[in-house]
Amino acid sequence: MKVFCIIPVWNEEKNIVKIINDLKDLTDLTDPSIDEIVVVDDNSNDNTYNLVKNKGVTVLRHIINRDQGAALATGNEYALQNNADIVIHFDGDGQFLVSDIRRALKPIFANEVDVVYGSRFLGKENNIPRLKKNILFPIARMVNYFLLGIKMTDPQSGFRVMNKKALKLIDINQRGKAHCSEILYKVFKNNLRVKEVPITVIYNHFGQNFFGGVKIVKDLLISKLIG
Amino acid sequence: MFQQVIAVIIMIFFLSRLFLHKKRKKISTNEFLFWLIFWIFSFLAIIFIKKIDSLVANLGFSASGIDVLLYFGFVVLFYLIFRLRLKIEKMDRNITTIVREITLINNKKNHES
Repeated sequence: MKVFCIIPVWNEEKNIVKIINDLKDLTDLTDPSIDEIVVVDDNSNDNTYNLVKNKGVTVLRHIINRDQGAALATGNEYALQNNADIVIHFDGDGQFLVSDIRRALKPIFANEVDVVYGSRFLGKENNIPRLKKNILFPIARMVNYFLLGIKMTDPQSGFRVMNKKALKLIDINQRGKAHCSEILYKVFKNNLRVKEVPITVIYNHFGQNFFGGVKIVKDLLISKLIG
Repeated sequence: MFQQVIAVIIMIFFLSRLFLHKKRKKISTNEFLFWLIFWIFSFLAIIFIKKIDSLVANLGFSASGIDVLLYFGFVVLFYLIFRLRLKIEKMDRNITTIVREITLINNKKNHES
């Protein structure tokens, strides 16, 4: 089974080298291993591209900045073209731990599910900012439940693993942050088998704020109108 | 009467620009027809403004005909903005698709060289 790890990055010169090194270490330890690390550079204007280029991994570079969802979709397309069987979506800002990948891969290898989501709300200790934990995430869960009819503990999670079936069925049209909700919606729409596994999320920065959330809802509504 | 003359002069100016653009092939036939019909309707509305006044009064509106035309104009403008919004969104998606294709082609080229 060919496993690809897709990392969308934009101006991540401080984090990306460590992530790649950790992934390579994991690749040596994990059985079956990660076959290809694919970094999608979303036209960074810092040194990210040059740093990654010399790391011996696949690096795809957007000629203009298109945002995270578009970078992930580029990675998915590359994985499909290169016959990937399993794809891991992993953030490039250092908020996820590489050590959580093995746990997330297991249910896919065992063919128990088609998609695995990492959840920061399933038991593991996380330093989630209080505002996010008690207000923003509950709102996000409600929006996903009422707008998309989906119940998940962590619907905005960017840590996911998909098998080939899911990869083929899910095409990402949302180029911005709304891609998380879009992917989740398509997972449920296509009746794919889903499982959440506990992960650790390290908050180096606050991330999405309330207005970011409003933009996600707006993008999803416009997308519904376009079809 | 004076305002009507001014409005008609402005309309004639825009119509002349419209025909000029069409002659220079700067706009499509559909767009030309849309604006031609728009200006013809506006022209008729201005010429028969008194009739619109009485029509509006008969319908139970307290405003005058020109006010109702203005409200109608707002509705049309909002609709056009909405259409533009969707069109921009579609173009945006197409740009992303093109960027993706270029990225993957460039990657293949880098591998071959």
